[in-house]
Amino acid sequence: MTGAATLLVVLRQPERLALLSPPEQEFLLRLARRVGMLGPLHHGLERAGLLATLPAPIRDGLEGGRVVADSRERSILWEVDRLERAFFGTRLPVILLKGAAYAALGLPLARGRLMADIDILLPRADLPLAERELRKHGWLTATTDPYDQHYYREWMHELPPMRHCHRPTELDIHHAILPRTGRLQPDSALLLQEAIPLPGRPEVWTLAPVDMVLHAVVQLFHDSDFGANALRDLLDLDGLLRHYGPTPGFGDRLWARSRALHLTAPLHAALYFLQRFCQTPVPEHARPGWLMRGLITLAMLPDHPDPRRDGMPVRLARWCLYVRSHWLRMPPGLLLTHLTRKGLRRWRQHVWHRRGV
Amino acid sequence: MKIGTLTPGETARRLKSRDGLAWRAGPFVVSLRADVPAFPEQFHLLYGEHRLAEEIGKTNDFRLELARPWGLRRWWRPKVFFEMDGPTRMAPFPLDHALPLFEWGFNYAIATRANQYLLLHAAVVAQGERALLLPGLPGSGKSTLCAALVLRGWRLLSDEFGLLRPGSGELAPLPGSIALKNASIAVIRAFDPAAVLGPEFPKTRKGTVAHLRPPPESVQDQERVARPVWVVSPRFEAGAAARLVPLPRDHGFLRLAHNAFNYELQGERGFRAVTRMTRECRFFDLTFGDPGEAVALLDEMAAS
Repeated sequence: MTGAATLLVVLRQPERLALLSPPEQEFLLRLARRVGMLGPLHHGLERAGLLATLPAPIRDGLEGGRVVADSRERSILWEVDRLERAFFGTRLPVILLKGAAYAALGLPLARGRLMADIDILLPRADLPLAERELRKHGWLTATTDPYDQHYYREWMHELPPMRHCHRPTELDIHHAILPRTGRLQPDSALLLQEAIPLPGRPEVWTLAPVDMVLHAVVQLFHDSDFGANALRDLLDLDGLLRHYGPTPGFGDRLWARSRALHLTAPLHAALYFLQRFCQTPVPEHARPGWLMRGLITLAMLPDHPDPRRDGMPVRLARWCLYVRSHWLRMPPGLLLTHLTRKGLRRWRQHVWHRRGV
Repeated sequence: MKIGTLTPGETARRLKSRDGLAWRAGPFVVSLRADVPAFPEQFHLLYGEHRLAEEIGKTNDFRLELARPWGLRRWWRPKVFFEMDGPTRMAPFPLDHALPLFEWGFNYAIATRANQYLLLHAAVVAQGERALLLPGLPGSGKSTLCAALVLRGWRLLSDEFGLLRPGSGELAPLPGSIALKNASIAVIRAFDPAAVLGPEFPKTRKGTVAHLRPPPESVQDQERVARPVWVVSPRFEAGAAARLVPLPRDHGFLRLAHNAFNYELQGERGFRAVTRMTRECRFFDLTFGDPGEAVALLDEMAAS
């Protein structure tokens, strides 16, 4: 079995790591570090009571990763608390998306998951109010570049990222789950309608379980960087379906919802790859076309701890998927001007900025 | 088997090999690949007492590489990069500064990865299992004082990191070379003419650097953990008489918490570890102009 395939097995059943030879364990640890999965492995081996059987470098490496993941989770949950306070007394709800939602709900998949930033969803009409309130409470916009501002505000599904002046966590404020310029336009009003408050915490909300699944599907196929976080997105989906899937009627509601949001095609594809890579119990679904099957199968898993040493076919597949995700993000004309603009800016910086002119 | 029992040629050959040369550095197994001229001899001199890792096992904590780029920069004003499972954020150094790049790179590797430890930014020496921490900002004289102490018989744990296990409250030794900067190179040469130093590297980002070889006994003792007993914040002041001033414990707590690289990251276990150290240690400020006087004062402190 290749390293990457073993990685998937071990992520599903962490106790299997203890059966491998020490050099194999080290290779897997390095792969898992690359995809940000040390925390879940440590959790799994701790629950299985197997940490003590591992060689010291493996045990310590996992523990180091777990400490970082736990600390990120703490900062994200603290950020939720601060947002709740900033929005207190306004009509703005705190609706958590992705990692922050999984952590706030205490889902099993959140254990040790390495989180980077916090994402929330608001009605587009409420964005000016939200920005005003956040500024009043110490949040600042991270970019001041006029083109970047324009890019986010006119075309994207989120505001330019904000950050509190005393804390490092980035805050992404979404008004939709896909860019305004994209091919697919799921209706945010539907998502907001079905949002659910946290038990015992009426100011903090998450999306309904079916919507969380569909958001993760969109994330995987439209927003992933296949070199870095696609595997995490896939494992998020696996965790969500294992947790919510057994609820009676979940499959039917999921399909009905995907039709209402026009997301049936990506849902079919996601279910196919979940079954294939994670053996997730999933509802009936169609197989995606041969090209997507090939590209995603190649691009999903890391070959080597050093990204530069992934095989050529893998890198080529990732590049194709990168191009595809941009193609889906913007109409061709806009994409062309956007890329030209970005490229020009980079070139100018390179040639002139460095000379101090 | 020790690195020193290899010939310099064999050291160079192993550094060039696919899996690199692996050795035991305190609690870590480190493997290093480097195909860089002059580096193997310097490394062989400073790390001769360290045990090779082949007898220990086949897993490493760190896989490090000093990599030379292909293309122009391999030949013209050649550079060398520090890598760890791919590129890192360390800026490249000129090729003939590979040793300082390795030393700083290894520190970077520990600071970014070894979060199983509370990482105190301090030189650490010990008498037996009683450890003295010397936390200090760059320029405080921490490395100079640490060098002087180990040349007078204190055991070297580390000149850069106090590796504290939050669970046990013990400090793991990591005896490597001590990086002396600028004026302190001459100070240490004068302090002990028998001190073994590597070559001087001028014009690094911290000025001129030379590395003091760790005492062989400290390296042989590198698996013997120690408990923190004294925390002394040094401050070098030209011409000043050595003075050791006790500090109240509440100051001590803040000193330690602010000094750790990853205090916030550790969360509750970091708080508990620092609380425990605050309870168990004595805290001092030390002003000194002459390392000999400072060592005498600290010897006296340890004896009392």
